Amino acid sequence: MAHTVDPITVSVIQHRLLAIVEEMGEAMLRTSYSQILNSSRDFSTGICDLSGRLIAQAEHVPIHVGALPWAARAVTEFFGADIHPGDVFLLNDPYHGGNHLPDLTAFVPVFRDGTPLFWSINRAHQSDIGGATHGAYNAGATEIWQEGIRLTPLRLYDRGEMRRDVMEMLATNVRHPRDFRGDLAAMIGSARVGERRLLALAGEFGWDTALAAIEAVLDGAERQARAVIAGWRDGVYRGEAFLDDDGHGASDIHIRATVTKRGSDLVIDLSDSHEQVLGFVNSSYPNMRSAVAVALSYLIDPQTPKNDGTFRPIEVIAKEGTVVWAKPGAPVTLCTNHCAQEVMEAIIKALAPACPDRAMAGWGRRFRIAIQGKDPRSGKPFIWHLFQARPGGGASPVGDGWPGGGEWQAAGGIKFGSIEVTEVRFPLFFRRHEFRPDSGGEGQYRGGPGCSLELAVEIAEPARGNTAGDGVKYGACGILGGADGLPHRYVLHSEGRPPREIKTKEVGIPIRPGDVFTVESGGGGGWGDPAKRDPAARARDVASGFVTGS
Amino acid sequence: MHGRRNLMYRIGIDVGGTFTDLVAVDPGGRSTLAKVASTPQDPSLGVMAGLERLAEVLGRGLGALLGETERIVHGTTVATNALLEGKGARLGLLTTEGHRDVVEMREGLKDDRYNLRMPPPEPLVPRERRLGIRERLRADGRVETPLDPASLEAAIRRLAAEKVEAVAVCYLHAWRDARHEQQTAEALSRALPEAYLSLSSEVFPQIKEFERVSTTLVNAYVGPALSRYLQRLENRLAEAGYRGPVLIIQSHGGVAPIAEASRLAAGAVLSGPAGGVAGSRYAAKLVGHGNLIPFDMGGTSTDICLIVEGEAALAQGRKVGQHKIALNSLDIVSLGAGGGSIGRVDAGGILHVGPDSAGADPGPACYGKGGTQPTVTDANLVLGYLDADHFLGGHSQLDRAAAEAALDRLAGRLRVDRVAAAEGVHRVVNTNMAEGIRLVSVRRGVDPRRFALLSFGGAAGLHVTDVARQLDLTRVVVPRVAAVLSAWGMLATDLRFELARTHIGDAGALDGAAVKRLFAEMAAEATRRLEASFAGEVAIQRSVDMRYGEQIFEINVPLDDVDWSAADPLPQIVERFHRRHEALYTYAMRDQEAVLVNARVAAIGLLSDLPQEPRLPAGPAAAPQGERRIFLGGWRAVPVFAFEELAPAQEVRGPAIVESAMTTVLLRGHDRATVTPHGWLDIAIAPRAA
Repeated sequence: MAHTVDPITVSVIQHRLLAIVEEMGEAMLRTSYSQILNSSRDFSTGICDLSGRLIAQAEHVPIHVGALPWAARAVTEFFGADIHPGDVFLLNDPYHGGNHLPDLTAFVPVFRDGTPLFWSINRAHQSDIGGATHGAYNAGATEIWQEGIRLTPLRLYDRGEMRRDVMEMLATNVRHPRDFRGDLAAMIGSARVGERRLLALAGEFGWDTALAAIEAVLDGAERQARAVIAGWRDGVYRGEAFLDDDGHGASDIHIRATVTKRGSDLVIDLSDSHEQVLGFVNSSYPNMRSAVAVALSYLIDPQTPKNDGTFRPIEVIAKEGTVVWAKPGAPVTLCTNHCAQEVMEAIIKALAPACPDRAMAGWGRRFRIAIQGKDPRSGKPFIWHLFQARPGGGASPVGDGWPGGGEWQAAGGIKFGSIEVTEVRFPLFFRRHEFRPDSGGEGQYRGGPGCSLELAVEIAEPARGNTAGDGVKYGACGILGGADGLPHRYVLHSEGRPPREIKTKEVGIPIRPGDVFTVESGGGGGWGDPAKRDPAARARDVASGFVTGS
Repeated sequence: MHGRRNLMYRIGIDVGGTFTDLVAVDPGGRSTLAKVASTPQDPSLGVMAGLERLAEVLGRGLGALLGETERIVHGTTVATNALLEGKGARLGLLTTEGHRDVVEMREGLKDDRYNLRMPPPEPLVPRERRLGIRERLRADGRVETPLDPASLEAAIRRLAAEKVEAVAVCYLHAWRDARHEQQTAEALSRALPEAYLSLSSEVFPQIKEFERVSTTLVNAYVGPALSRYLQRLENRLAEAGYRGPVLIIQSHGGVAPIAEASRLAAGAVLSGPAGGVAGSRYAAKLVGHGNLIPFDMGGTSTDICLIVEGEAALAQGRKVGQHKIALNSLDIVSLGAGGGSIGRVDAGGILHVGPDSAGADPGPACYGKGGTQPTVTDANLVLGYLDADHFLGGHSQLDRAAAEAALDRLAGRLRVDRVAAAEGVHRVVNTNMAEGIRLVSVRRGVDPRRFALLSFGGAAGLHVTDVARQLDLTRVVVPRVAAVLSAWGMLATDLRFELARTHIGDAGALDGAAVKRLFAEMAAEATRRLEASFAGEVAIQRSVDMRYGEQIFEINVPLDDVDWSAADPLPQIVERFHRRHEALYTYAMRDQEAVLVNARVAAIGLLSDLPQEPRLPAGPAAAPQGERRIFLGGWRAVPVFAFEELAPAQEVRGPAIVESAMTTVLLRGHDRATVTPHGWLDIAIAPRAA
C-alpha cells in the first residue's frame, strides 16, 4: 500500500482499536443473561479482517486469543461474495473454525463502500449447547455429536432481518432457550458496537489512513514480539507434558514440543504427540493454535497487544490425527483446558532454558464436579458446579506462585462464588476451605498452594455427580529445577462404604444423603533449584503454615 | 451557650499531600482563603497553622475565630495513606475455624491477565496471625457449633503475645447473627483493652465473606492511625477554644462526626477525593448543569466520576490499592494519565504515555529537579502552551532546554521532529483520557455526550477542551479556584449515616410485614445514631439490593417513592427492581424469581444551606495581557488572557490562552468561552472537523 501514515497517528489508532474491543466487552457484560458471561466473563471480543488476520482483541479469556482467525476465515470462505450489510453470522463447530462447541461466535461484517473489510466478533461460552449432558462437559462422549449442536458457518441475520426459523431451531436445541436468546442478543449487540466504532474511526481518519495505520499497528506488535524473542539463546529445545488419561482407557497421553529458535523466529513442532484418543481431551486445530499463542503471550511482555503481528514469529507444525489436532468427529469439549494446558506446558518447558528469566512454572489443572439433585429445603432441583478450591499458581522468576491462583489457561480469571451465598442457595455445607499445606512445588521460588475443601452434601434423596478435568496423576509442572506441585486428590466419603477416590472423567457418580467430599486441589509448580531458596522465605513458609516441615 | 449571632463562620479544611487548603465562609457568602504546607508526620499541625493564617487574614486571634465558628468540615488522607503506604496497624484476625484464608484467596481473581510474572499481593494480616476459632453458624442463623471459650482464649493469648494493635473479627454468617462476634468482642476488650476492635457484623453486616472480611480488615488496619489523628486534632481545636462539631468527609460523600468516623475508619479511605466531588456537586448547582464529569488531572493520574442530575454516583465497593472495601463509596475512577506521565516508544515503534509517571519528584524534565524523561508537561512546554517564565503565576521557572532535550530523545526513537513528538504525547494522552471516560460512562450505562466536563487540577486546562471534543461533548466548565470549590462543596455537604442488613430471600416467599418492620427498625436506629451528634432535620433514604434467582450480582434499587403505609410493600419493591434492571441492562425478567439480598437505610442530617457565593461586579471586558506563539498544527501567535481579570459575560474566542496562578486553559480554534457571573469559564466546544 502506497499510503503512508505518521507514527503519531498510528499510535493514536492503536490506542483507539484497543478501546473499541474493550467497549464491545463492556456492552456484553452489561447485557448478557447468564452468569458464566456476566460474572465469570467467559467471553472475548475482537476484530479480524476478512482474511482472518486478528487486528485487536480484548483481554478477557487467554485461551480465546489465538483462535478467532480460524473462525473468521471459515466464515469468509463459506460465504465468499455473499456477505451484505446487516448480516450476522454464527459458528461453533470445532471442525469448521470453532474451538469447542460451547463457545459460540457471532460475526458482524464492517463495510467500506459496499466491500466487506473486517469482522467484528464476539465469542461467548454458552451455559448449555445441547448434547447428552447438561452444560456441555460430557466425559462419556466418544464422538462430537454427543457434545452438543454443531453450527457450521451460519447466517442468522440476512441484510438486517433475523431468520426466525433458524433462531427457533437453535433455541429448541439448547436447555436454556431464554438465556440463549438473551446472550445471543447481547453478543450481536456487542459486535455491532465494534462495527459502529470502526466506522467512526474510518470516518475520522479516512479509510486509507486507517488501513495503513492498522498495517503499521500489526507490524509494530510483530517488532515488539521479535525484539523479545531475539534476546533468547538460539537452539533446538524439547519439552514434554502428559495428560493423566482420556477416561476411556488411554493414559499418560504425551504432548511433545520441539521448538527451534533462530533469530527472532520460532518453529514449534507438535507432530510427535500422542495419537488422538476416544475421550474429550482431544484438541481442535484452532484450539491448539490458540494454546501455542497463549504460551507465547505468557513469555513475551504482557502489555504487547495481541494481534496478527504478535504471532507472526511462530510457525506451527502438527499432524492431523494426534491429540493436539483431532480428525473430524472426535469429541473435544475439554480441550480449552486439557489438552490446551499441556500444549502450553510442553512449549514453555522447552523454551525455559532459552528464557529462564521469563518462563514460569505450571499453574494448576482443572478438575470440576457438577452435582445434580433435589434441595430438601425447597423441594426444587438444583445443579451446582464446583469453582471453589482453586489449584495453586506456578512460581515465576519474580517470586512464589499465587495461592489458589487457578488454572494456567485462565490464570486468575475465574471468580468463585461466596461460600455464604452458596450455603444459602444450595444444600451444601462447607466445613473447611483453606489452603492445602505442602502442595506447592519446591523451588528457589515455591509454587502457590492449592486448596483443601471439606464439603457435606445435605440432601434427602440421592444425587448424581459428573466430573471433568485432569491432574490427579500429573501435578502442575516445576521448571528449571523446581519440583512439580502435588496433584489433585478428591475423595467421596459415604457412611458404611470405604472412601472412594473420584476420577477426573466420570459420569453419574452416586451421592447419598450425608456424603462428604474432601477436595484437595493441586499446588503450583516450583521455579528454580530448591537449594537456592532464601532461608528467610523458608522460615516464612513454616510460619504461615504453607509448608509444615513434616 | 454561644449566642447564635456570634457564630459567623464555617470552615472547610482540605489536607492534601503538599498543601493544606482552608476556606472560611461568612454569612454573606464571602470566602477567605489560606494555604499552608501540609505536615505529613502530624497533619493536625498543618491544620492549626492554617487556622492561624486564616485568623490573621481575618484580623483576629485564633481563639476569637474559633469562638465564632459554628462548624468545621474536614477532608483527610490519613486513612488512605496508611493503607496505600502499608503503614497501618499490626493486625490479628479471628475467624471461623477452617476458613482463615478467605482474604488471601481473593475469590480466585488476579489482575492483569497475561502477566504471570507478578508476585501475589501481601494480605493486610499474615496467615500466622489469622486464627481459627471453634464456632459456626449456619446460613439460616442456627448455631452449628457454639463458640468455644477455650479456643477463643488460646487465640487471644496468642494475639497478646504477638503484640497486635488491632483485631478484626469475621465469622461465617455473622451477617445473619452477630452473637458470636459480640461474645468475642467482650472477651477481647477484657484481655486487650488497648486494641482497636473491628467486628464484621458492625463494619459491614452483609452476606459474602470475602467482601466482609476484607472491609473489616481494612477498618482495623487504618482505624488506629485515623482515630489517633482525629483525637489529636479534636484536642488541639478544643485547646484553641473551639466548641463546635468537626465533621469528617466520608468516602460515600456525606460527613460524619469524629466519633463515628473513628469507629468506621474504612469509610474515610476516600475522604480526600470526596471533597473534590462535593465541590463538583456544588458546581453543578452553580452553573445549572446537573450532568457533569469532574476531570481532575494531577501529576500521575486523572480522577473522574459522573455527576448525574446533580448527584454523584455511588459504587458498591471498590478496591484501594490491592484491597477491597465493600462499603458504599463515591464512584471515582482513576485514569493512569497526568501531567507527569512519561512518553515512551515500545519496541514496535508505538508511542505510549503513562501509566509510569515522573510524579512530583523528580517531576517532568522541565522542573529542573533531575528528571530526564519526556512527560506531558514537557510536551506542553515545547508546544508553547505553558510559559516557562510564568508557570504557576511566576512562582516557578520551567527549564525549556531540559524539556526539549527530553523530547528530542523521544523524537529520535519515533523518527519525527521534536514538535511532532510533543504533539504526539499531547494527542496520545488526550486519546487515553477520552477513551477512559467513554469506558467509564458506558460501564455505568450513560451516554457521555449529555455531560459537561468540569476542569479541575492544574494540568487539566490544557487537555480538557480536546478531550471533550473527542467525546463529542459541547461544554466545558472551568472554575476560577478549584481549591475554593472543594471547600465550598464540603461545607455544603449533609451528614449521612448508613446502615445495611442482609435479609435474603425470594421476594415471592418473604413476609412483607417483616420487611416493613426491618426498614422501620433500621430507620429508627440510623436516626438515633445520627441524632447523637446532630439536632436538625433528618431525611431517610431507603433502598434494596436485589437480583434475579440465577444472577450473582445484585443491583441497588432506590425505594424513594414506595408507599410504606401499605400492609405489604413487597409488590412495590419488586416492581421497582424490574424497572431498575430494565433501565440498567435493557431487559427485565418478570417471570423469574426476584431475590432480595440487602436492605439499606441512610439517615441524612440536612444542614442549613450555605449562603450563595457572591457574584463578581460587572466591569469592562479585559484585553489580552500579551501574545504567545503556540503549536496548533502550525505555529501561530494567540492572545493570552489573565483569568482573574476577565469580566462577567465577557467572551473569549479561540484560539487563545487563559492563564492564572492555578491553571492554564487552552481554547482551540472556534472554541468560545463565556465568563460566568462568578468569573468561571463556560466553554462552548467547537465540533470535530469532519
